[in-house]
This record gives sequence, C-alpha cells and structure tokens, in this order.
Amino acid sequence: MSNNQLILTDVTKRFGGLTAVDALSFKVESGQIYGIIGPNGAGKTTVFNCITGIYKSEEGSVNWRGEEIRGMTPYQIVDRGIVRTFQTIRLFGQMSVAENIMSGRHIRSSQKLWHGIIHTPGSKRDELENWHKVEEQLDFFNLSEFAATPVGSLPYGIQRRVEMARAMAVEPTLLILDEPAAGLNDKETLVLLETIFKIRDKGVTVLLIEHDMDMVMEVTDYLTVINFGKKIAEGTPTEIQKNPAVIEAYLGSEDDDDE
Amino acid sequence: MKEMQKFGYPIFFAVMAALPHLLDSRWQAVAITFLIFAVVALSQDIILGKCGMFNMGQALFFGMGAYTTAILNNEFGWSIIATIPLAILIPAIFGALLAGPIVHLRGDYLLVVTIGFNIVFVQVLQNNLGGVTGGPNGIFGLDSLSFLGFNLTSQVAVYYFAFIVLLLTLWLMRNLAGSKAGRAMHYVREDQLAAESIGINPRIYKIFAFSIGAGIAGLAGTVFATQYSAVSPEAFEFIQSVLFFSIVLVGGSSVPGVLLGVFVMFVLPEIFREFATWRYFVFGFAMIAAMILRPRGIVPATFGKIPKFLIKGGSHVE
Repeated sequence: MSNNQLILTDVTKRFGGLTAVDALSFKVESGQIYGIIGPNGAGKTTVFNCITGIYKSEEGSVNWRGEEIRGMTPYQIVDRGIVRTFQTIRLFGQMSVAENIMSGRHIRSSQKLWHGIIHTPGSKRDELENWHKVEEQLDFFNLSEFAATPVGSLPYGIQRRVEMARAMAVEPTLLILDEPAAGLNDKETLVLLETIFKIRDKGVTVLLIEHDMDMVMEVTDYLTVINFGKKIAEGTPTEIQKNPAVIEAYLGSEDDDDE
Repeated sequence: MKEMQKFGYPIFFAVMAALPHLLDSRWQAVAITFLIFAVVALSQDIILGKCGMFNMGQALFFGMGAYTTAILNNEFGWSIIATIPLAILIPAIFGALLAGPIVHLRGDYLLVVTIGFNIVFVQVLQNNLGGVTGGPNGIFGLDSLSFLGFNLTSQVAVYYFAFIVLLLTLWLMRNLAGSKAGRAMHYVREDQLAAESIGINPRIYKIFAFSIGAGIAGLAGTVFATQYSAVSPEAFEFIQSVLFFSIVLVGGSSVPGVLLGVFVMFVLPEIFREFATWRYFVFGFAMIAAMILRPRGIVPATFGKIPKFLIKGGSHVE
C-alpha cells in the first residue's frame, strides 16, 4: 500500500470563544471511502476547510503523505493532490460547463504565463490535450450534451455533477466531497453512489461529509462521527449503527439539534 | 451574435483600413483618437473586465507610455519607433510593482488605491520631477514617425500606426482568451475561492493582468504622443481613468461593447459639436440606464471559446 495517508492529529479550530473543531484526530487510508457524519453544526465543514487550507487550525497537525499541510494555501494543497467540492456549489456561473471543467486542468497544463500573450506549437498542443481531458470528464459524468451551456442555468443536480467533474479533472489523489447528495433526488443519489464507487476504482481516495445516513452507510468503508467538534465514535458502518453514542447524538437529547 | 462576429470583424477591419482615405484631416484626427482610446479601453478591459479588478488608474499607465516616448525622444533623441519597447516595458513593470501590494484588496478598496496612484502620477508630472517631464506644460515638439529611413510625417501614417496597434491588441486579447492564463483570470473574477480551491494562485494572475493591461496602455501612450507631437499632464488625469472604467462597465467586457463605448464617448461629441458639452450629461444617464437595464454591459462578456468537438447539441445556449 502506498502511503497516501491523510492523518489529522488533535486539530482544533476556534472562532472567537467557540471551539468549532476540538482536538479531532482521524486517519484516512489510501483507497478508502471515508465518511464524516454528525448533526448540523457539528463542525464537519470546518474540518474540511482546515484540511483544504481555507482555514488554518490553531492547533494540531494535518499530515498528508508525510508532509505537514496545515497553514498552506488552498492552491498549494491542490498541487499536492487534494481537491474538494463545496456544500453550497461554487461554480463559475456565467461560464460553460466545459470551461468550468477546464479550470480543473489548470495545474496540469504546462503553459507558462507568456503563452497568454503569444501561443506556440507547444502551448497549442497542451491546450488541445487538456480540452480532450475535459471531454473525458464530460463523458464520465454524462455531461456531454451540456458542454457549451452556461452552468448557472442548469438544474442543481447537474451542477453537482459539474462540480465533481471539475474536481476530477485535476486528477486528484484525495477527493473531498462536502455533502455531495444534498439537494439530490433519490434517482440522482443512486447515480452519485455509482459515480463515487467508480471514482474509487480509479484509485482515488474519497473523503466525504454526508447527511443522508442511508447513503453514508452504503458507500463508506469507514466512518468518523463528530458532534460539537469532537469525535464521538469511529468504525465501519455496521459498528457505527450499533453505537449508542451515535444514536443519542442523532436522535438527540433535546438541546443539541437546533444549531 | 455568431453571424455578427463572422461578418462584423472583417467589415469593421476593412472599413477601418480604408477610412483615412475617405476623411479630411480633422476627421482623420478624430479617427486616430478613436483608435488610441479604443486600445486603452481594451487594456482596461483586461484588468477590469477579464480579471474583475476595480482599477481606476488606467490613465496612469497610458500617460507613463506617452511620457516614456516623449522623454526618450526629446531628451535622448531616440526615434519614436525605438521608444516602443520601453514604452511598453516600463508601464508593464510599474503595473506589476504597483499591483503587487494591492491586488489582495477588495474591489472598492482597490479602486481608491488606484485613484491615489493616478493622482500622485499627475502630481509628479506637474512638478517636473527630475527635470524631464516639463512640468504643467508637458513636453512638445516631438519628432514625427520615421521608419527605416522614411519620414512618415503625414497624419495618415499616424492613423495606420494606431490601427496596427489596435490590431495587435485585439490579437493579443484573442490569444489571452485561449490560454491557461486568460482563463485563470476569468475564474478568479467569477469566484476567487473556487479558483483557489482548484489550484489557481489568484495573486499571480491578478498581477499578470495588471502588467499586460499597463503594457498595452503604454503602447497606446506612444501613439498618443506621436499624434500630438506633445504630451501634457492633463491628458492623463484621474477623470480620464473614470472614462475608461465606465466605458468597460457600460459597454460590457467585450470587444464590440468597448468599441461602442469609445465611439459614444469620444467620437459622437465630435460629430455633434453642440453635443460636446452635453456628453457627460448624456453618458451619465446612459451609464445609469445601462446599469439598471443591462447590469453586465450593453454587449456582455462572452467567455473563452470552447473547441467545436465538445459541442454535441443538446441544450446549447448561445
């Protein structure tokens, strides 16, 4: 097994007096589909933001392939093979689907800045190669018919697919999905499940946050459950389903589900 | 829209190429002004339209190019053509240096800073810094164009010089749109966080946009200095920057939009002389109306083209 491991150790993120993530540790192994679940406001997205460089955690360590990535900028982290999607879809709304996916090819393109002024045979070849990679993603995510459509005008479910296609165009080692099934109908969720398995089969490790418990239980190999920023359980889906702490967090004592 | 692009450009180029032979000398001068200001407005479009930075100091770079040419010609006796590389490079380098510390600022803050730069620049010119800028009167009596031993004194020669510069600018902008760097600018403008999360370092592309925009404006400055054989500070005041800014915003971040804006702003007042004093009034209302009715500009931006082999029917929206 290669050492494409993501190891979080005692990661703590505070916003003023609020501790959003509290000494959280977990380890994602290469090739896993790893899930993070927890009630609303448990700090799941904050964890993702700490991993992908949008926030810097105050304490702890985020270790990726033996390298400390805490404190790096988002684009430096993408350079190291970690790419994410957003819970609230963040696409380039006025641009076409193909152009959106092309943005994922940015770090793979060999063009230099001055190629923006004058094209060379090499830069033209690079341009064409990358558009062909975009075509592969369009096919993989079944988006070909929308290639030229401005992404802002497409339905939500398709936008979710475009965002995943864009992330996959980077050829990531670790793909981080923030609530990929949010807002999808049952049929779309099924397609999403298949897609996630196919992505894993390509050798990409997947880390996801999800609310839809049925989906999480079906898709993930291993889970961490957090509540109030703290880990309350971890294990395989079957272990988690039997865990009393998890059941309590979800079914809830009355004070913790209205955050 | 497709049709317009297919036929519009060749017709536009043909008309522009033939134009000086159809006009008398006053109108030739107006046409040259149109070409020069079109180039500056397009350079502003790279910074404001393509990369989304609220730069209100474009006249600074325009002036820097003009003064570079004027000083090199006047003080050091370089021919106009020989000053071109420096008239591009100096503003381009300054653009990068000025942009470096400020591109992380949010839109409105950046706008104020660039206004500041522009004002400082004009002050420097007026106070004759280093004794080479000629103070409030500027520098006059520049040589006319000469190229390979030919003296090109006629206005028609200046017109074609300006026309070549415009063509060069359009060519460069087309190259930019079909490149990694150009697309990165669009992504940064649309959603900076998303751009960063896909591996783009926004700082690099913002500074790059500033630098290219400044270089092109500087080249336009050379043409401007050539047209009048003189430069003076008031041509590069902050109010000029406001005009370029508004042209891109009202016209829309597209070549037809920008050209239309320049035409309305600089050519119409010449056609209707009585309109000249009214132009700010009319343009002001046009700005208000355009922003309410077409917030993305009269001819909105069309983003980079995608290759034909990717378009497979379906809901293709033009």
